[in-house]
Amino acid sequence: MSDGASFGFLGEEFLTWLWFRLETEGGDFDIDGGRSVGISFDDYLRLAPAGEQETTQTLRAGTPTRTAEARAGLQNGRRLQEAKLVTALGELQWQFVLDGTTMTLRSIKLPDDDPELGGPEEKSRERAANFVLIHEIVEQVYAQFLRLRLQPSYLQQEAEAQANWMASS
Amino acid sequence: MLFKRSGSVVTYFVDGKIPAITSDDFTAALANHRFRTIETAANEESSIGWVSAGDPTGDSFEVEDLDLDLGVWLRVRVDKKKLPAAWLQIHRATAERSAGRPLSVRERRELKEDLCERLLPRTLPSVQFIDALWLPKQSRVLLFSTSKSVREEFEKLFFKTFAVALEPVDPRSLAEHLGLGREALAYLDEVAPVNWPSRGDARAISTLAERSTSPEAMEIEN
Repeated sequence: MSDGASFGFLGEEFLTWLWFRLETEGGDFDIDGGRSVGISFDDYLRLAPAGEQETTQTLRAGTPTRTAEARAGLQNGRRLQEAKLVTALGELQWQFVLDGTTMTLRSIKLPDDDPELGGPEEKSRERAANFVLIHEIVEQVYAQFLRLRLQPSYLQQEAEAQANWMASS
Repeated sequence: MLFKRSGSVVTYFVDGKIPAITSDDFTAALANHRFRTIETAANEESSIGWVSAGDPTGDSFEVEDLDLDLGVWLRVRVDKKKLPAAWLQIHRATAERSAGRPLSVRERRELKEDLCERLLPRTLPSVQFIDALWLPKQSRVLLFSTSKSVREEFEKLFFKTFAVALEPVDPRSLAEHLGLGREALAYLDEVAPVNWPSRGDARAISTLAERSTSPEAMEIEN
């Protein structure tokens, strides 16, 4: 495997790990600068097919991570392909869909504009900064996953705990 | 003009050096590939080029319209002029009625050429603006569109303008840019998808490592 497209599984494993991490340790993550971000799943999930004969499964509205369909997907070894996430850093809150296969952020909704900001120039600067910041946050959490995932011992330790969680979901 | 508050983004790594926004080279590069209007064109065609948030014509590139402190606000304008299909159908039906027979392929082509010449100078092109944010310190570009055709057009225009290629981010290339240790990066070449066990296959959990590195597991995932 040498091209990036064939590594889509890594982003999907990241999203699945995120679900595991949120349910077993909570959704707070430490990032650079001594800051902490909170991440939760919102109202959209897409599960990847577990094999060639299966199809993707899309769950919308409500709290899809708690549905029987989502749990059945985990129990059948499916990875999470896409999910709508809510991320909070202090007063700032973003919503977006993370496509694990490509690690792109879609349908991003930025935090509300700071009412104290003046004209369009200041607001534009803040919005651009918030687009950059959400990408940095996702990358830092992805890096935390990769530090676990890219260890030869991953399959005997972290993955086994996750497999037990998936099987007992 | 206000920067957008929502949207979908494709991230690129910039593979090369782009002149600083304050340099004449930067604005000259944009100006060389600026948007050129096709408002009066008599052919079906499209035009793509740079404009700025403050000047949608592409005539000027003021630094204050581009500079967002941590990034540079780039804007592409794409105009497309096309003969409206309904008008072509109306004129074809009229011609066929007066001829009392269906038009031949050649006659249909000639009719379309004639209509293009008469109608397109009076037809306004469709206009699309696509925003991007160039982050010089991170050597990245955020493109605010996930459409395949827009991405391809943008990548081509960016290369023609700055002679620099854009590499789209994917899970692997992103991993290589996150400051992970050398051992972790070396392991990237070996990592294979985890073959998560299905319900009722309790034994599979204890043999996860074996299952996930087997050629069979690799085959399923690829």
